[in-house]
Amino acid sequence: MKLSAIGIRRLLQISSSLVIVGLLLEIVSLLWFHPLSFVLFAFVAATLIGLGILVYLVSLVFVVSPPAEKRG
Amino acid sequence: MIAILICQIVLSIGLASIFLIRPSVTTGVAWKIVAFIGLCVLPALCIVGGMNTHVQRSEQTRFCISCHVMIPYGQSLYVDDPAHIPAQHFQNHRVPADMACYSCHADYTIYGPLNDKLQGLKRIYMQYVTTPPDPAAIRISGGFKNAQCLHCHLGARDFEENAIHAAIMDSLTSNQMSCLTSGCHDTAHDVANLSHEKFWKPVQ
Repeated sequence: MKLSAIGIRRLLQISSSLVIVGLLLEIVSLLWFHPLSFVLFAFVAATLIGLGILVYLVSLVFVVSPPAEKRG
Repeated sequence: MIAILICQIVLSIGLASIFLIRPSVTTGVAWKIVAFIGLCVLPALCIVGGMNTHVQRSEQTRFCISCHVMIPYGQSLYVDDPAHIPAQHFQNHRVPADMACYSCHADYTIYGPLNDKLQGLKRIYMQYVTTPPDPAAIRISGGFKNAQCLHCHLGARDFEENAIHAAIMDSLTSNQMSCLTSGCHDTAHDVANLSHEKFWKPVQ
């Protein structure tokens, strides 16, 4: 399955958004000295960052490659 | 340490922002590498760094007593009575003062730290979802294991040269007889009677 360039850009934007939100929440969890800060980090921030990484890797796997006949 | 991690997070956010605003830049090879670093390598390192920081933080005394039900246990470390084992250890720095709870309550086994963290999550669940227990009614599941005392005391001269300890050493190491047995070191966190106690006030 191949995705169009626009689709990949969309995936990159989704990935970036997830990573940014996850990292911002990680900063909050690091500055907040409370038992719930670990829960915020482990169950929300790390999950969002992990999803962002996963979406980015998916965009790599399904990247558009030139047709076989045009190669070499 | 946290400052370095936050700098790393800010750098990751900066890189990720580029790909959020202009995803088309990834058409070039150099930007593809930057994208891999900014959206995969650095965020993964941030997760590892964050986990490490949170795990280290959870070993601190002030973290343990930041839970409402643990406040009396924190106060019990200042009881002015050497018969109170936790207070005596804490006040004389027989355990690191900033890691007092963890030093005696850590499970010193291969998966011990993981079990400790899972127990911690269970307590957070009890605190915020179900009914938090009465501090005086809290008991360690499975009882306090001698291994947690022997982790430091076994091999120490004053412990092994003590005639009573020497006589019951096998029972202590096999956990058949608890260190907290009545008549031995039986006063731990007596939180039910804290109102009757005198407290030590540190100079600093």
